[in-house]
Amino acid sequence: MIKNTPTICSFCSNGCGMFVRSRGGEAIGVIPLTGHPVGEGRLCHRGWNRYQNLRSVNRIDRPRIRDGSGFKEVSWEKALQKTADRIRGLLDRYGPESIGVIGSPWLTNEDNFRLSRFCIHVLSSKNLDGSFRFAGASALTALGSAFSYPFGSLGTIPRLKECPSILVVGGDSHRDFSPVGSRIIQAFLRGSKVVLADATVARKEHFYAAHLPYTLQQLPIALAEKSDILDDVQQCLSHKGLGLVFVADQVHPASSLISLLGLLSRLSNLEDSFPEILPLSRAPNLRGAWDMEIRPDEEGLNLHEMLERDDGIKGILIFADDLLTHLPSEPLVERLKSLEFVLVADRFNTETCRIAHCVLPLPLLAESEGTMTNCEGRVQKLRSALPPPAETRSVQKILSDLSQKVGSPLPDHVDFEVRKEMSRCVPGYQQVSDESALDSLPGVLLPGEKQLSAGAVFPESASSSSKSETFTFVAIDTLYGWNRNQMILESPVLAIEYPLDPMTLCISAADARALKLRMGETVTVRSKEGEVRLPVQPNEDVPVGMILLASHWKDVLDRLAGKGSVDTLTGSVYYPALSVTVEKI
Amino acid sequence: MNQYVLLKTDLNRWVEMARKKYRVYAPERVQEDIFFAPLLGPPESEFLTGLAVLPYLPPKDLVFPQSEILFSYSREGEKIALTVPDQETEASVLLGIRSCDTVGISWMDKFFRENFNDTYYGRRRDNLITVTIACNRPIKNCFCVCCEGGPFLDPGKNSFDLQLIDMNDRYLVECNSDQGETLINLDPALFSAPPPDMEAMRNRLEEEARSMFLPEPTSYMGTAIRRITADSVPSEVWTELGERCFDDGGCTFVCPCCSCFGVGYLAHGSGGCHYRFWDSCDYSGFTREVSGHNPRGEKGERFKRRFFHKLSYQYVKKDGRIGCVGCGRCITACPGEVGMPTVVETIRRSDTGDSSKE
Ligand code: SF4
Ligand code: SF4
Repeated sequence: MIKNTPTICSFCSNGCGMFVRSRGGEAIGVIPLTGHPVGEGRLCHRGWNRYQNLRSVNRIDRPRIRDGSGFKEVSWEKALQKTADRIRGLLDRYGPESIGVIGSPWLTNEDNFRLSRFCIHVLSSKNLDGSFRFAGASALTALGSAFSYPFGSLGTIPRLKECPSILVVGGDSHRDFSPVGSRIIQAFLRGSKVVLADATVARKEHFYAAHLPYTLQQLPIALAEKSDILDDVQQCLSHKGLGLVFVADQVHPASSLISLLGLLSRLSNLEDSFPEILPLSRAPNLRGAWDMEIRPDEEGLNLHEMLERDDGIKGILIFADDLLTHLPSEPLVERLKSLEFVLVADRFNTETCRIAHCVLPLPLLAESEGTMTNCEGRVQKLRSALPPPAETRSVQKILSDLSQKVGSPLPDHVDFEVRKEMSRCVPGYQQVSDESALDSLPGVLLPGEKQLSAGAVFPESASSSSKSETFTFVAIDTLYGWNRNQMILESPVLAIEYPLDPMTLCISAADARALKLRMGETVTVRSKEGEVRLPVQPNEDVPVGMILLASHWKDVLDRLAGKGSVDTLTGSVYYPALSVTVEKI
Repeated sequence: MNQYVLLKTDLNRWVEMARKKYRVYAPERVQEDIFFAPLLGPPESEFLTGLAVLPYLPPKDLVFPQSEILFSYSREGEKIALTVPDQETEASVLLGIRSCDTVGISWMDKFFRENFNDTYYGRRRDNLITVTIACNRPIKNCFCVCCEGGPFLDPGKNSFDLQLIDMNDRYLVECNSDQGETLINLDPALFSAPPPDMEAMRNRLEEEARSMFLPEPTSYMGTAIRRITADSVPSEVWTELGERCFDDGGCTFVCPCCSCFGVGYLAHGSGGCHYRFWDSCDYSGFTREVSGHNPRGEKGERFKRRFFHKLSYQYVKKDGRIGCVGCGRCITACPGEVGMPTVVETIRRSDTGDSSKE
């Protein structure tokens, strides 16, 4: 018999409602929940094919520990004891600051909350962070500084369709997040003006009223100064009730978003309320992990500092994240590999598992309960749709056992007790102890902070790229942002839909003609810092004067851009647009 | 075709009889959604009236599930064991299916059984008897009347087992197959011969039902079919429609007539399985070749191809009808707001320069 479990999709930050359909504990399909406010009976292709990764055969099936160059499977008791011994060893030898803890946007709020308690109270370490340090942290930091933290819900997906104008920063916000894209189309059909800001495409879709060919960094400056931006675009953006959508993972640096918010508020004289803002993410619980304080306080080290500084960490505990693939540069990857102790607790056999000293199997989100906070600030309950494999253990159990063994036991609270605690001490989360509200379809929407805090209008950064006869080289974080996602890799259809970006340079067809370049021919690209040789791929959709490369080719980027730039507000590392020359070989 | 009268007060008794011999599927509510699920007690009568009730998924998943294991294997030393799973092949009755979905199942029969008998489909289909309820009243998104998909089935043209027509306190039951007759014979005493004026009443109800559809899409369907067949839809129209499409595949999954599937395999250690799953021509991976080349890499191209298959004469000739039964589920499922009626209307409105001929 088929069981239909109503729950939440945990692929991305939208959190659409869906039924997971199973027979005999095996996922066999998915259909949307029509009454759910986010999806309203629709799903994107990730959602529709989610059942495929729920029966992946690439699960970690037993605890295992490093044994010479390989691994050996061990009992839970042994794996936990070994981990506890290594933790104790590090604490005794180097002190608490030698250990870092990585929480995750692929964990529930409750588990992130437990992890942060574990880090602070059991390990007494302040080094707590997530891989979103490099994809998402800048956006959330910017929002936290523009609106006073906690900013709660800054907008909702259903309300987006009522916005008289919408600024879409980066076409992916529309294409890759169909519930949001759907409301953008509905707004267009109702006569709203939708403006696209995207430097990496040459052409806009028909529902955009205008296209601003700028990166987020260039956008505030362009809007403030450029005379070639039509008055009516400015007019559009100055509407009361403007909607603003962007992919939080793509925001670099934080100051660029702060400037944009400041500028938009100036354009539209927003006194009382700020527009609908939707910071999207490719991870399901970026907001929740952030709100559960999976980030260092002033004294702690962020992920970048943990790995980069000489006095950084010696051991790391990684929960539910393929951290290795998220690091933005090769030196950081090398540092991670050379740590004295790496614990990975995860669901699938990832790259990061391979470098771990101890690997522990976790249940999937579809096999767990708990809450997640979506991009709207909506806290929703997950329902366990499938039985977890016998050898997995919940984060709750792992942390409670580990804390016992390390010698400072944590209270072993179940989820609803944790939510009670959250409601007392997580800013903005007072209502999450209301179980019946959480059980309702719309979940609990966090109270919203819509007022820009004083002083949020940031001075515009002066890093506008100087136009010259050179090309602008941009590292794009599009497909790769998804296909380092294990849930994509474990779904055969989606693995085909999200092919790996090849190591080729995308160049406009016009530029290719001018340089007499054909598909696959090699060019030398030179920047101030260095040069690389790569094949080109002419593409009609790339704007003239642009060269695009997928952002995961870290060594290429390192060679061209030196070590990348560090966002001073967040410690995130990113690669700003570079001026380069291109020469056919 | 034989006709009978069944009093509504006798319905539950009949269903009870059926449940003893068959697994009886009927619409059931889970939260706000409706599914076809095996009955454990009497059916929910609100779903068995002349008012159209459409579960989110058409019952095609009872014969062609979203994913199913084709075979699994395991190896022990030299010995390899192959197992074809014992599918749900219990004799079943599908009660409360609507006309459009019944026509959808006939379409599936053609695809899975006509030139090649698909064992997996066939095993389930052979064991399924359908009890359709004609729609006296369509709901918001219904347009079956433009697609010869309803609101009543025509015993002369459509293949079905039983059709119930709601006449207040009773159903007129039309039996169109031997399988239908076996259901009647579960308790023949419940079924009486219809009075002579019943046929006229049936036809009046059908006429009334037909008049309840909004007039627009009806007249547009023909135009769209002509323009698509003649390839005279301007390419910008396909581009714009394609730009609205999110490649999510929702429309294909909920369509009673979409039958595309992919085959995947899972292997671990010494065992594994091959399975098939609903695939979608919306997906760019659907036609991408191993070389990386994709003959339909552009969304607009894929969109056009999909509607060519649904509406062009070439396919009508091959399949005997258009690939749409008018259930309107694509409207519910499409985040881009480009369900069948919108596409058809957009095509009609598109200026091909030869509008004088229309
Ligand atoms: S938009 Fe996000 S949450 Fe919704 S179905 Fe797609 S992946 Fe799942
Ligand atoms: S499309 Fe026609 S047959 Fe289908 S439910 Fe609506 S009225 Fe009934």
